[in-house]
Amino acid sequence: MTDFAVELSGVSKKYRYFTLDDVHLQLPQGQIMGLIGANGAGKSTTIRILMGLVHQDAGEVRVLGHRMPAQQVAAKWDIGFASEDMRLYETMTLSWHMSFIRSIYPKWDATYAQLLLKRFGLHAEQKIKGLSHGQRVKAALLLVLARKPKLLVLDEPTTGLDPVARHEILRELTAAMADEGRSILFSSHNTQDVEQISDQITFIDRGRIIDSMDKETYLDRWRRLRLEVPLGVELRPLPGIVGVQRQGRLAVATSNAFVPDLAHAYESAGVHVQRIENMTLEEIFVANVEHNREEVEA
Amino acid sequence: MTSSVIGQLIVKDWRLNGNLISILVGVGLLALVMAQYATGEAVRLFGSVWFFVSLGILATMLPTSAILNERKKQTLAFIMSLPVSPVQYAMAKGLSVAAMYLVPWVTLLASALIFIETRHALPLGVIPTLLIISMLPMVGFCLTSATVLVGESEGWLIAANIATNSSYWFIWYLITRIPGLKQHWSGPVAVWNAPVLMVLSAEIGLCALIVAIAFFFQSRKRDFIH
Repeated sequence: MTDFAVELSGVSKKYRYFTLDDVHLQLPQGQIMGLIGANGAGKSTTIRILMGLVHQDAGEVRVLGHRMPAQQVAAKWDIGFASEDMRLYETMTLSWHMSFIRSIYPKWDATYAQLLLKRFGLHAEQKIKGLSHGQRVKAALLLVLARKPKLLVLDEPTTGLDPVARHEILRELTAAMADEGRSILFSSHNTQDVEQISDQITFIDRGRIIDSMDKETYLDRWRRLRLEVPLGVELRPLPGIVGVQRQGRLAVATSNAFVPDLAHAYESAGVHVQRIENMTLEEIFVANVEHNREEVEA
Repeated sequence: MTSSVIGQLIVKDWRLNGNLISILVGVGLLALVMAQYATGEAVRLFGSVWFFVSLGILATMLPTSAILNERKKQTLAFIMSLPVSPVQYAMAKGLSVAAMYLVPWVTLLASALIFIETRHALPLGVIPTLLIISMLPMVGFCLTSATVLVGESEGWLIAANIATNSSYWFIWYLITRIPGLKQHWSGPVAVWNAPVLMVLSAEIGLCALIVAIAFFFQSRKRDFIH
């Protein structure tokens, strides 16, 4: 039986202008899951529900084996949560924050905290209001990592960061996974960040999970086929093709279940396959969202 | 373990609001000295008014600084990432703001009583009325804190402030009309008669009712961060 760090089943939450609809999500322990979605897709709502900050209308949420929101206190002892819209106390120093968190978490690792201070180039005696956005994100991450949580939940941790700061954050998250059994769930609309460190990837759009699987499977399954369609040959829909864009004799078919036989099927139908291209995660995400929206609207 | 987290949240609020409390206690004590030691009547009146104003300002500023700003300045998510439930957060917040108000309130009131007892600038008969009037900012503080905690917005804070600040002077006027109160003001002893005890009980009861209602609504909340 697999142990899940996060398990959401049939979770729904209705707001006036937005509905999170029947969300099913499983993050096995020891894995990193990237939750990708456009702005307003439901990433933050999903994360707030699994943190117990928002109560779901329906469905079951378990985090580290604890039912949420009922057992959120027990769960939060082992969760490190940081979000893009979370702020620290501006008039206080980072050192004050470290001392505050240390007073709560017995597992606080002071040596690791000092190491992170150095790695992030932070000064403990500096007041939060004097820190740049990137430094504030790093400070929040330091406070989360040094408490040694079993699960890290990060809502858009790299938003608004310069490439160097993003790299430092992602490197530290990867390093944090050296601790066996630790899991990370992080949301982002930056597919590059997600692709860089995630094992599992979940796409969310308009309040619905549209796809969730491991990164390698995504990259293996999704392909773009550049086709040349001779005059008089019909470009018939084939299984595994989720979108076709055509311009005259040239066409681009996108597959979400690519197998070499797909190319043979086109060739057999008289269509010349010019090239088969790998897709980036961003291209997969956009194609997935567009396909899903077409299906919903059809 | 959870009780220690609640304790740390209370200590945290004290550290964050210590300066505000110290400044307003200082203002209140200065006003009290003016009321007791000044020779001119205008300065003494100014001191008396500022003694109550300092309690009133504290009643407004503490809920703003300790409760509303946590939402407005987006530090609430940081606190709620800690092992506390929304109800425990409300409990910690309630205890910390209550203590942060009670300590300066008791300090200023005790100082006023000591001044009255030792300086004899005012008759002892004024003590019950002083207590009744000093309880008004306490009721206002409870109402403002509860409204901000449950209402979660600056709009609700402003509404609570308007309601409390505009009612102080009106209630003050009503109190002076209560039979059995005014005639003892200039007396040599403090008289704790039925009207005094009734008004004090009503004020304390109102505070308790406001707190109970706030906790009732807080415990029914489904969305804690929007």
